[in-house]
Amino acid sequence: MTLTGILTVLWYSALPWLWLIALMLVIFLIPQVIARTKGYGFTKPGGIGSKLLPPIVAIAALYFVPIHTQSSIAYVNTWVDWMNLIGASIGLGIYAWLVLHPICYLKNRKA
Amino acid sequence: MTRKTPHPDSKSRRDLLKLGLASAVAGPALGLIPDALAQQTNAHIVISGAGAGGIAMANRFTRSLPGARITIIDSREDHHYQPGWTLVASAVWNKKKTLSKTAEWLPPSVNWVRGMVTEYDPDNNQVTLSNGETLKYDYLIVACGLQLRYERIEGIDTRLIGQGKGIGSVYAGINEAEATSVEIDRWIASGRGTGLFNLPPTALKCAGAPLKMTFTTLSRLENSGKRDQFNVEFMTPSGGLFGVPFYNDFVKQRFTEQGVIRNDFWTLTGIDADAKKATYKVKGERTGTATSGHYTVGSEQQDTWEETRDYDFIHVVPPMTAPESILNSPLRFSEGPFVDWMEVDRETLQNPNYPNVWGIGDVMGMPSNKTAASVKMQANVLEQNFLAYLQDRPLPARHNGYTSCPLITSIGKAMLVEFGWDSKLLPSFSFIDPKEESWTVWVMKERMLRPAYYAMLEGKI
Repeated sequence: MTLTGILTVLWYSALPWLWLIALMLVIFLIPQVIARTKGYGFTKPGGIGSKLLPPIVAIAALYFVPIHTQSSIAYVNTWVDWMNLIGASIGLGIYAWLVLHPICYLKNRKA
Repeated sequence: MTRKTPHPDSKSRRDLLKLGLASAVAGPALGLIPDALAQQTNAHIVISGAGAGGIAMANRFTRSLPGARITIIDSREDHHYQPGWTLVASAVWNKKKTLSKTAEWLPPSVNWVRGMVTEYDPDNNQVTLSNGETLKYDYLIVACGLQLRYERIEGIDTRLIGQGKGIGSVYAGINEAEATSVEIDRWIASGRGTGLFNLPPTALKCAGAPLKMTFTTLSRLENSGKRDQFNVEFMTPSGGLFGVPFYNDFVKQRFTEQGVIRNDFWTLTGIDADAKKATYKVKGERTGTATSGHYTVGSEQQDTWEETRDYDFIHVVPPMTAPESILNSPLRFSEGPFVDWMEVDRETLQNPNYPNVWGIGDVMGMPSNKTAASVKMQANVLEQNFLAYLQDRPLPARHNGYTSCPLITSIGKAMLVEFGWDSKLLPSFSFIDPKEESWTVWVMKERMLRPAYYAMLEGKI
C-alpha cells in the first residue's frame, strides 16, 4: 500500500470523529495552557486526583472500549485483541493524566 | 588551466535527474506515480457501471492514462457501500453510513453518462444505452455488477420486505436491508416462531452475508433472553455453507452449538407471503410422504421433490446472474460452470475473444470473487495489464483469486477470512489468526473497512 493510500484510509477513518478529536484537543490544551502560565510543568506535584483517576479511567476503559464498538469484553479473545484493548486503555489513562494533572496542580496551588 | 564551462543545460538536467531519482524513490510510496507506468493516449475508454469496480478504474485511468477520454455509464446517483448492508440489517448501523453520491467519487475529467448499457456489440466496438443511443469505444471495461433474480422465486416481491409478512432480504437494497432489521425485531417481539435462512442455487455476491445474517440474528435472539422459544433453520441448495473447507466445518459446528437446524439440498422456489409458507425443491434420499407426492415411487427414489415450510421470518437470498445485457451478448461464457456470467481470463481479466474488452467485479464468471475486497485486488491487476496491452507488452499481472469476508459470528466478533483460488488462505496480516474469532476483526469490519473501501474507490489502494 502506498503512503497516500495509508493516509487516505486514516483520513476516512478519522473523519467521523474529527469533532471528538477537536474536543479532546481543547480539553487537553485549556488546563495545560492555564496551568503553564502559573508555573506548571509535568514534574510538578499534581495531587491525589491525578494519581487515582487516570488508573481508574484506564481500568474502566477495558470494559467500556469494547462496548463503544458495539461489542463486549467477553469477545476480546486473541492476544492481538488484548494488545489493542490494553493499548487503547493505557492511551486513555495517559490522556486522563494529561488533563487532570494540571487541573489538580491549579487546585492545590489555590489551596 | 582552463575551467570546463558547464553546459547551460547541465544544471537543469542534473536537477531533472535528481527529481527523477527522488520521484522514483518517493513516488510509489507517496502514490504520485501509479504502479503501472503512465501512458499518454487519446483512446476512448468506456466503463460500463459506476459501482466499486467502475469508479476505482475511472480514478486509476485518470491518473495513469493522461489524454485518454474516459466515459462511465450508470444511472445511479447514489453510491452504496454494500459491505455495510449486513450491519444495517443487523441493527448495528444506520443506513446513512452506507450512502454517498456517485458524483463525489468521479474525477471531473470523466464523462458520466446517466443510463445503463442495454446491449453490448463488441464486434463493432459499441454499446447501446437505455435511451437508445449508441456509444463507440476503443476499449471497454465491463463493471456493471450482477442482476438479482427475485423473479425466479415464485410469489416474492421485494416490496413485501419489512411489511409485517415476515420477509427479509439484505440483498435487495439499502432500504430493504433496513426493513429486514425491522422485520427481525418484529419477529423477536412476537416471542416465538420459526426463522428460515437461505442460500441461493447460484453464485452470489458477498457469499458470507447469508451466514452473517444468521449469526447476527442469533445474537439478537440470545440477547432477547428467549432463544429457546425460537426455531432457526438454515437451507443450503448445495449441502455446503462456505467454499473453504475449514470455515464450512466451523460454521457447521457453530450452527450445531447454537441450535440451528441445517437442511441440506433445499432450494427456495416459492413463497406464499400471506400464509407465511415457503416452498422448497429438495434433493436427497428419504422415504415416506413429502409435502408434494412421495420421496419414492415404487422402488424408485425421486431425484427432487417439494417441501413446504411454515415460517415466522424468512431471509431470502435471490439467485444471481450477470445482467441480461451481458447474457444476450457475445461477452458471456458460452459453456461451462460460468455460463450465466461474463467471460474473462480469471487471471488477466481480459475477455479472450475481444481483447479490447476487460472485466472487473461481480459480473465476471469465476469462483467466489464477488466482494469489494476482490475488486480492490482486481483493480490493480486490471490497470497494470491494460496499460501493458496499450504498450504491446506481455500482460504482467495475474489475479490470484483473492477475496475476503470478515465473517461476523456474533454482533461484536468476527473472523478475517481471506482466500484465493482453490480455497488457499491468503492472510493479509501475519498477526491476525484467520481461524480465530476476534474483537479486533470486528472493529476492522465495523470501523476500518469503509475507509479502506473509499480509498479503493479513489484508486489509492
